[in-house]
Amino acid sequence: MARAPEPSASDLKVLDPDGRFRERLEADRRAIAELGDNGDLSELKRIVHGLAGAAGTFGYGAVGDIAIALDDRLVAGETVGAPGIARLLAALEQALGKPGKSA
Amino acid sequence: MTLDWGRAERDALADPHGYADAASQARILIVEDDETIAALLGRELRGLGHTVDHVRFAEDALMAARANDYALMIVDLGLPDGDGLDLVREMRRRTMEAPILMLTARRRVEDRVIGLSSGADDYLVKPFAVPEMRARVTALLRRPSRLKGHRIAIANMVVDSDALEAVVDGISLALPRKQFQLLELLARRKNHMTPKRMIEEALYGFDDEVTANSIEAQVSKLRRALVGAGADLMIETRRGIGYRLVGLDAASN
Repeated sequence: MARAPEPSASDLKVLDPDGRFRERLEADRRAIAELGDNGDLSELKRIVHGLAGAAGTFGYGAVGDIAIALDDRLVAGETVGAPGIARLLAALEQALGKPGKSA
Repeated sequence: MTLDWGRAERDALADPHGYADAASQARILIVEDDETIAALLGRELRGLGHTVDHVRFAEDALMAARANDYALMIVDLGLPDGDGLDLVREMRRRTMEAPILMLTARRRVEDRVIGLSSGADDYLVKPFAVPEMRARVTALLRRPSRLKGHRIAIANMVVDSDALEAVVDGISLALPRKQFQLLELLARRKNHMTPKRMIEEALYGFDDEVTANSIEAQVSKLRRALVGAGADLMIETRRGIGYRLVGLDAASN
């Protein structure tokens, strides 16, 4: 079954009534975008791990699924290439209503 | 997957038999460094009528658990100052017996098995669905609690009324019958003053001869036994009123 790309207004009213999680998504998006190709790997791991655990809980299933896949690779000591980061950024932008910024 | 549920549906999913009422107004500790997840848990649990404390660090969790009688602890496994598994093990080593719901982003079966073998009672894998979290919390709270029954935990000691035994840091403390009765009474009323008259009635029958200093003598012997066993406890005296058993942490505050 396909996931909803982002939570509905009624989901957000229950799950994120004060918008703090959405603010966090925006902060994470900016941080990932600024990390660039030679960014701090530990910072990337921290953000991806946090998104893997939290995004799906708040209804951002698409972001969560990509973050989980990346987190599994990072935990296993594997590298995460630019395409993987780009997919996560695109999902974040889609969820935040900013499609195409990372393209 | 749809996340569009109304309040009635969420209540039905989480608590189809209405057990939440029986476990209402429990005090719950959340140990979670992710502020947004902690806020969500706090909102939901307060919505169920519970009192919620939140800490971010394992060290703070140990202090909070020693100072308060939690009905449930929700512990994330990835904490800034240590592994949540170590925290769970340490809580169990210190005879903190409240049920623990482990929150984990570790999705492998073996990680969940290790968590449960470390002393957690249940686990919830992140990301989680809120109705499932509510249902698991409610299920844990309606279990016959090891604390509510015949085992009373205070600081690093457990008093077991069935086994007629006090255990300090996992080591049995041998006490004569009257001292055990006194300890059990004070432990049941932990952090509250117990009047001397109440102690007399609990320890002595109508036909027993009780001298003026009988209770003082029993309290004095029990104090020595607790110190000798390394219990992080003290018996406070309030002259003319009675006695109170408190953890050393609470006593120093």
